Amino acid sequence: MSDLLFNTSLLDEVDRFQRQMSSLFTGLPSSIRASRLSTFPQINLGSTDDSVEIVAFAPGIDPAKLELTVDKGLLTISGERARVESQSEGRCYAQERFLGTFRRAIELPRDADPDNVKARYVNGCLTISIGKRETSRPRTIAIQ
Amino acid sequence: MNTQTHLAERNPGAVARHGNAQAQKGPTIVPAVDIYEDAHGITLWADLPGVSRDRLNVHVQDGSLFIEGEASIDTPDGLRLHHAEIREPRFARAFSLSADFDTSKIDANLNDGVLKLSIPRREEARPRRIEVSVG
Repeated sequence: MSDLLFNTSLLDEVDRFQRQMSSLFTGLPSSIRASRLSTFPQINLGSTDDSVEIVAFAPGIDPAKLELTVDKGLLTISGERARVESQSEGRCYAQERFLGTFRRAIELPRDADPDNVKARYVNGCLTISIGKRETSRPRTIAIQ
Repeated sequence: MNTQTHLAERNPGAVARHGNAQAQKGPTIVPAVDIYEDAHGITLWADLPGVSRDRLNVHVQDGSLFIEGEASIDTPDGLRLHHAEIREPRFARAFSLSADFDTSKIDANLNDGVLKLSIPRREEARPRRIEVSVG
């Protein structure tokens, strides 16, 4: 009996509950443009020597409805996730997935080149690669 | 050796087992799901961004449905992560299925990081109208 109950992975549920609580009480933004962890899409940001790499985890979106803009060093990802047709009928047991319009802004580092942006949408992940300006790349200076 | 694994399996300490499995594999993310039911069965949508078909594992065992997937994202070499909202790109979630559902006819479809599972009811478990005859 207990095996049956716990097979629904109780720990995962506890984990989910904890995340919900922490997002309610401790989700104080650290920056004026930062937002809580539960926002959509979730974003990872990293950089290499030649580029700034951003990954937005945005599954199930028509790429035509995704809009990506760079304005004054601010990268904005916006779009809409529409309801699936067949969801309107029948009984609903869970509705956890994000629905509706979204918008996220990321402040780019000063050395990012807004003219050199590449974006791809693969498997529900939007990968954005922004080149860095030539002048900002690390280089060694020859000593004479 | 053989008897030992048998004993461990019979042990109802599923939470402990789960904990062990998690310790081995590291933390996982519980994917967000939508679950709807109609007369034909249950449809489940799960958000699994970055998970490709070959890294997704959906299986039914002992009346439970397991969804496991690992995201893989192409990143250039030498990437330094500055900010991460998704740290462990491993998804796992389990649901218990009642006997009403025909687990041999589950249809799974992965598109743009969204998994759609159609779990049909067994023929005999479908709702049907019973004619009332006036006698």
